[in-house]
Amino acid sequence: MIRTIALAGCLALTGCASKGLYQWGGYEEQLYSAYKDPTKVETLRLKLETLLQETQQAGRRVAPGLYAELGTVYLQAGNRPQAIRYYELERRTWPESTLLMTAMIQNLERLEKGTQGDKQ
Amino acid sequence: MKRRLALMSLSLLALTGCVTQPTKKDMSAFTAAAPRSILVVPIVNKSLDVDAPNYVLSTLPIPIAEKGYYVFPVNTTKVVLEQEGFYEGERIHEQPASTLARLFGSDAVLYVTINRWDAQFALITTTVTVDFSYRLVSKNDVEIWQERKQMRYQPDNSNNNAASPMGALLAAVISAAITRAAPNYMPLARQANQQVFILGPNPLPDGPYKTAEKP
Repeated sequence: MIRTIALAGCLALTGCASKGLYQWGGYEEQLYSAYKDPTKVETLRLKLETLLQETQQAGRRVAPGLYAELGTVYLQAGNRPQAIRYYELERRTWPESTLLMTAMIQNLERLEKGTQGDKQ
Repeated sequence: MKRRLALMSLSLLALTGCVTQPTKKDMSAFTAAAPRSILVVPIVNKSLDVDAPNYVLSTLPIPIAEKGYYVFPVNTTKVVLEQEGFYEGERIHEQPASTLARLFGSDAVLYVTINRWDAQFALITTTVTVDFSYRLVSKNDVEIWQERKQMRYQPDNSNNNAASPMGALLAAVISAAITRAAPNYMPLARQANQQVFILGPNPLPDGPYKTAEKP
C-alpha cells in the first residue's frame, strides 16, 4: 500500500511536469533516516557524495542546497576543510546562497586558522 | 484491486490538478514580491509526536525546488539557527520574516505548522491523519501565500478477495495491527505537499528556474 501511494505520488508529479528539474537521488529519504536514527548520517553522506559526482559527470546542475547539506554533514563531523569546500561549491552553483555561504566560509576559515595555530 | 483503485483515483487527482480551478486566490502580493529563493525554517509542532517536525522538514525541499525556486538547505538552516540559539520551532516562527531573510539572504520565508499527526485506533480500523498549515512571507513581512491541508488514510478493509466474512475480518485485524505498530505518515505528508504546492486549486506559482526552462 505504501508503495502504491509512493508510486501514485510520482505519477501525480509527472502528471503536470514531464520531468523533474533535478536529480535528488534519495536525499529526502536519507535525511529522514538520519533524523530518525543519527547513526545513519554516514549513509546520508555517502548517498550525497555519489549523487553529486553523478550529477556533475552528467553535466547537470546540482539541485539547490545539496552541496551545502553535504558541507554541513562534514561540519558536524568536525571536518572543516571539507565543509568549506562544499559551501564554496554551493555558492558557485547558486548565487542565491552567496550571503549565507560566505558568512559560513569566513567563520570556518577563522576557526581553522585558530586551531592550526594551536597545533603547530 | 485495492491497489488499482488507489492508483486510478490518484491519477484522476493528477489530471484534475492540471485543470485550472475557478476559485483562484489573489496572487498580486506574490507577483509583486517575485521571490527567487525560499528559506524553509524548522516546523512548529502541535502534535504529540516529537519527531514529526524533522520528518516534515525533510519532505519540503524537493517539491519547492522542483517548482523552480532556490530552496535553502533545510538541515543546514536548522543547524545554523541552533548555533544562534534557536532550537524550538515556536521561537523561530516568532521571528519576523524580515529578520530571518536578512540573516540568510532569502527573498521569502516558509513557516509550516503541524496541526495534526496522529493515528486514531478504533477496535479494528486505524485512521492516520496529518494536517499542516503553510505560510509564505516575503522579506518585507508581507504574507504572499498560504494554505492548509489535511490528509487522512484509512487502510481499506473491504477486502474483496476474502472468501468469507471471517476472512475479511481477519485481514482487517492484521492490517490494523500493522498500521498500529508503525503508522506510516510520510506518504501522507508528501501527498499533502503535492496537493498544496502543485496540484491544488491554489498552487505555488512557478519560480524562476521553472519558467526559465520553458521555451
